[in-house]
Amino acid sequence: MIEEPYRWVEAIANRREYIEAQLALGSPIAALGFRGGIVLLTLGKTRQKIFEIYDRIAMGAIGHPGDIERLRLAAIELASTEGFTRSAVDVSLRRLAHYSLSPAMKSAFEQVYGAPYLARMLFAEVGERPEEDLFLRVEYDGEIATNGATLGQARQDFAVLSGTRQSRELMESFLKTEHSPDASFDAVVKSALDAWSVGHMTLQIGDAKELPERAAVAKYRQEQLAESGIEAGILERDRSKAIRYRSLSDKELRAFAND
Amino acid sequence: MEPSPVALDQNFSGAVDDFPALLRRKGLLAPAASITATHQPGNVHQTSWQPTEATTILAFKFSGGVLVAGDRRATAGNTVVYDRADKVLEIDRHSIMAIAGVPATAWEMARVLEHSFQYFRRTQLQEMSVDGKVRALSKLLRDNFGFAMQGVGVVVPIFATYDSYPKPEARLYFYDAMGAQFEAADYAATGSGSPAVRGILYYENNWGAKPLQKLHEDEAISIALRALDTAAESDTSTGGVDRGGKIYPLIKIVSREGITTLPEQKIATVFKEKVA
Repeated sequence: MIEEPYRWVEAIANRREYIEAQLALGSPIAALGFRGGIVLLTLGKTRQKIFEIYDRIAMGAIGHPGDIERLRLAAIELASTEGFTRSAVDVSLRRLAHYSLSPAMKSAFEQVYGAPYLARMLFAEVGERPEEDLFLRVEYDGEIATNGATLGQARQDFAVLSGTRQSRELMESFLKTEHSPDASFDAVVKSALDAWSVGHMTLQIGDAKELPERAAVAKYRQEQLAESGIEAGILERDRSKAIRYRSLSDKELRAFAND
Repeated sequence: MEPSPVALDQNFSGAVDDFPALLRRKGLLAPAASITATHQPGNVHQTSWQPTEATTILAFKFSGGVLVAGDRRATAGNTVVYDRADKVLEIDRHSIMAIAGVPATAWEMARVLEHSFQYFRRTQLQEMSVDGKVRALSKLLRDNFGFAMQGVGVVVPIFATYDSYPKPEARLYFYDAMGAQFEAADYAATGSGSPAVRGILYYENNWGAKPLQKLHEDEAISIALRALDTAAESDTSTGGVDRGGKIYPLIKIVSREGITTLPEQKIATVFKEKVA
């Protein structure tokens, strides 16, 4: 059937619809850059969603655990062999995503007789200064978005990932006003928790167009914290260390969450 | 269609590979050398070419963890190739590999090892156990044994690390060229100057002012410097302490907090007070 171009387009559209529906329940992930590094944070009940990829690169993902696992291992494998044959400094997120992951994901997506990757990923790479941080969102079809900004816009020191476009956009507009790279670590954790709450609320309500009230966000955050765990990691900007990733425990972060 | 740049086939699973196997699959690491195929005694051209070799390293447990020290000389036959060689290498936050033997092979091994531990942590989402790390080095030595038999690439390392399980304690291992691992209770030394060093450490441990494990940091440093200087006295391949050039051995300490590299100034001070 897909010898006909129209059928192919239709098949792709169906596939897109199917994947979007599968991803729509994915719990949001926020990545916020500040002077001390980059914090990646989400709330969850079951599986791990934030991972170390290489010395300065971390990943958060939603989707099918099997697909996330294959993409995660491929990313680690590529970064590790590159770092081994050349140098850890030569491992770059930009090349990893643009030249390796994206083409592979695109071709899996467009070969309609094979299975696509049911995953949406957020990568962060910590730079020497907050301006040099890189955030990339890689979609199931290989599409890549950078820092939530276009060429014409100022670069934002955060990026988010969520089940739906609407949820993501509301999180972005929330962080645009709430987050500054000059913020302290505890302020960053708070903003990340609030951004997660905004995104998660939107997924629950379905058709929200505007940011919820602050009080509503705070209330929602406390409700969710009571029943879910905080999962987070930090890429530290500390130049004295080669490996910058460290996972942050729920216990470590709870203190900041209750204000 | 062109092959995808990433091996993302549907059955792909990186979980089964260890890092050296991954490197071999990608053609980035030489296969393990065959032991029998090319070994012919007398085939090594001793006179025309000799590999660069690094010598004398020592390690012992003291009150603050494990001290690992190495002289700085690298030789080829009776030529000094380099007098600032680094034979005490950090593998991860708590592990040190010190090398005697051919640096070309040893540094590559250290590099493979360093990446192996990180690769394991990242893919398996947990730290490799100390037993796993000790075994990983053993496997690399075993893979290299064919080269060692051909007279090139002999490496005899010491591995020092800090274990948190089952109980927090410093662990010290030494190896032979075939990959057998031996856990040292108190001290280890390998390389051409090691007989002298072992003599000194044995003496200090049994009849010295106090056993090695009870030494404070400064006392431990002075014994390490004296031992290397003694080794250099009779072994031309060991650099010891270069008094004229002010080149001191490299000393690192593994403890619960991680690895500390002693600043040269500190070593120089102890040397002046206790050794020179």
